[in-house]
Amino acid sequence: MDSPAANAAFAKQIGLSFPLLSDMNRKMLKSYGVLKSYDVENDTYQWALRANIVIDKQGIIQFIEEGDTAIDPNTALTLCTTLHKKTPVK
Amino acid sequence: MKRALGLAFVLTAVAAAPPLAHQVEKSQMAKMTLKAGDAAPDFTLLSDRWKTVKLSDYRGKKNVYLAVYVLAFTEG
Repeated sequence: MDSPAANAAFAKQIGLSFPLLSDMNRKMLKSYGVLKSYDVENDTYQWALRANIVIDKQGIIQFIEEGDTAIDPNTALTLCTTLHKKTPVK
Repeated sequence: MKRALGLAFVLTAVAAAPPLAHQVEKSQMAKMTLKAGDAAPDFTLLSDRWKTVKLSDYRGKKNVYLAVYVLAFTEG
């Protein structure tokens, strides 16, 4: 939901080597069921929890987690390494 | 490690300041609709380099790691 410009500044600041994507219209978050609605004092707010999602080359979700457990990316990263060994990137 | 990831995305999200967590009942949270084994819905998103990135562009090429990172610019 951050703007691309804000993301660019952040990526430059910490020297990232992978893309930072913006979901400004929240379409992706909605389609993945990650965006949540919260009703507080007669108003509805929407935001996402943290989530880790691993998608293989065939476009199949291999792993998905959200909330407190998703703060630690190690499970997802280990799975990435396993996937990579199975089907090496050419 | 970089190659092992294939491609890592970090989705950053900052919305209106969320109300404090204790004000929110767990039951109000919708369950995640996707599970392992499901086909990943395609998406097209703008990257920090102002280029569109499409998930389906990576099909057959790379494994993708998506990290949804909310409130990326806060200390929290």
